[in-house]
Amino acid sequence: MSATGLVKYFGDKRAVDGVDIAVPAGSIYGILGPNGAGKTTTLRMLLGIIEPDEGSRMLLGSPRPRTQSDRVGYLPEERGLYPSMKAREAIAFMGALRGLDWRTGRERADEMLEAVGLGGSAHEKIKKLSKGMAQLVQLQGSIVHRPDLIVLDEPFSGLDPVNQERLEKLVLAERDRGATILFSTHIMAHAERLCDRLAIIAGGKRRYEGSVEEARATLPMEAHYTPREDSPALLSLLPPEAVRDGKDYRCPVPEDGMESLLQTLLDSGHGIAGLSLERPGLHDAFVALVGAETVERMESGEELEA
Amino acid sequence: MFLRQAVVIARRDFIATVFTPAFLIFLLAPLFMLVFATVGGTGARMIADSGEAGQRIVVIASAEENALIGAADGRRRDLIPAPIAPPQLETREPRGNPEAQARAVFSESGIDVTAVLYRDGTGDDAGWHIIDGGNASFSANYLAALAEDARRDRLADISPGADPPAIPRTPFQRQEASSSDRQSAGMGALFVLFLLTLLLAGQTVSVLAEEKGNKVIEILAAAAPLEAVFVGKLAGLFGVALLFVAFWGGLASMAIGALAGPGMMGVIDPAIGLSTFLTLGIVYFAMGYLLLGSVFLAVGAQASSMREIQMLSLPITFFQMAMFGLASAAAATPGSTLALIAELFPFSSPFAMVARGATDATLWPHLAAIAWQLLWVAITIAIGARWFRKGVLKSGPSLLRRFNPFHNSAKQN
Repeated sequence: MSATGLVKYFGDKRAVDGVDIAVPAGSIYGILGPNGAGKTTTLRMLLGIIEPDEGSRMLLGSPRPRTQSDRVGYLPEERGLYPSMKAREAIAFMGALRGLDWRTGRERADEMLEAVGLGGSAHEKIKKLSKGMAQLVQLQGSIVHRPDLIVLDEPFSGLDPVNQERLEKLVLAERDRGATILFSTHIMAHAERLCDRLAIIAGGKRRYEGSVEEARATLPMEAHYTPREDSPALLSLLPPEAVRDGKDYRCPVPEDGMESLLQTLLDSGHGIAGLSLERPGLHDAFVALVGAETVERMESGEELEA
Repeated sequence: MFLRQAVVIARRDFIATVFTPAFLIFLLAPLFMLVFATVGGTGARMIADSGEAGQRIVVIASAEENALIGAADGRRRDLIPAPIAPPQLETREPRGNPEAQARAVFSESGIDVTAVLYRDGTGDDAGWHIIDGGNASFSANYLAALAEDARRDRLADISPGADPPAIPRTPFQRQEASSSDRQSAGMGALFVLFLLTLLLAGQTVSVLAEEKGNKVIEILAAAAPLEAVFVGKLAGLFGVALLFVAFWGGLASMAIGALAGPGMMGVIDPAIGLSTFLTLGIVYFAMGYLLLGSVFLAVGAQASSMREIQMLSLPITFFQMAMFGLASAAAATPGSTLALIAELFPFSSPFAMVARGATDATLWPHLAAIAWQLLWVAITIAIGARWFRKGVLKSGPSLLRRFNPFHNSAKQN
């Protein structure tokens, strides 16, 4: 799946502003960004649910995404199931929409529900299920036809930790089956744990595209130092970006390496009780890429004006 | 406090109702009503006029007697108010067997003969005879009175109290339905079709609201072309409608069979033949349902709440009534320009064509009409899906942006 220069207006608002994306086959790809960043609109354009105002797309080798719909599974952000349908019927129905015959759909539905511990709910109506269970049923409905590409829009939102873990396992299992998975999220922990590659979108623009490691590599390594003897003068010996974090100090690794800094700390008598060099997390990389305010809004779930 | 809260709620409801496209349609609905009233009223008047205008009383007699009867008719007609006047008088001279000639008049197309007065023989002493198309009808009585007037005029016998000789009467048993009977059959079929679509097709207006409400629409839109979603929805509800019709149609048939006997259907004699007429009725019900249903589906898909759906029900009913009015007017004037318009206008076509089947035996116009109506079902669904895609899913570039090269740069600056 790839897209070049996708643009979408809603009225006068340029909701998606020239987004480029390339999702390698067989990978888990995340689109990360705050609410209102344009993630859902981008996914809808990639799938052909809506047409872009500008730009081109390629889905499973076709420039016309709708022709590939039987090979795609999609979990929309706004969850939707017929409340009066039974769980296994709902799964089979969604499979039938994508070309799977009803009988196979029902058989697979039973297997899938059993696998996540919902076997007893197969004949329950959707309205009788909890929100998390219904969400899992919908996810299973979107993959029951064993698609080559699975697109999940904010799949973790609204799920409790138990169901989040179930969902993560499902995503990994589908990747192991050979499917390509594209999902959007505003929760960095999921992106960091699951994604092979990701794109960061904010304000309708793509701010970053690459692997999680590459995103983290955009920031220098960070030294975590614990002195044997602390003193108020210690901070002045460290690089200007250094900050105190409890008994530890954190600072970027100097461009010329750690040797001279370590020598200074030893010579000053502060000693070294602990020292580790770490890559900054995705959170820090994200802050560096889109700004602390955007990240703060994203983490609070606040809608971001493009 | 209470009043302030009530005002706040009222304000929200008012704004939420008024500032919607559905309200505009609701607001303009009386226009449809006016159109309906005009067209329907015209149609009703025309059907009444055309039924009466086609009726005739016929006299078959010598030129001299015809002149006397014509004069008597003129005198009597001047005294009778137009709404209750007898059918128009037509005089003819005898050719061959008068009785056979009189009976043949009832089978003439283009006119609906209610009674015939003729001389039962060729000599001057031959007595009058009336063949009554009805049962002791007003027309037969009127012809008897004219014959007596003519007799008195001819004999210059103006003596009061003399009993005129009684004129023997024979009731006429028609071999096939009269044109007015067929028109009535067409009108009846049209009404049944209208009633069924009025009851059933309106349901389609709310069908996509359910999907929008429970958010299933995005799953459907992602998995299938919107046209397929629309067709599926329409077909599903049409199945429900067919079930409804089959159930009540079956019950009605059984009730008629039990109450009136199996020969009841024999009294309906459409020009195209009863079995073909019934088949066409089913086909045109399907066409009418699909045509109107697809319009309502498309309009209802734009509604974002049940409130808007409820508001749409009024203009939808008016639209159906307008189609009924147009088709009724067409049924009243078979072969007229208005009838052609009603038969060609896609949304009145099924109703107008079923009425045509009752009065016109030609089959090919029905085949052409069904193809034409199917085409319009497809067109309506395509337009509805496109409208939904544009209006609800906000898909595709706007016309302003497409044709204004300065728009994008202006927005970005």
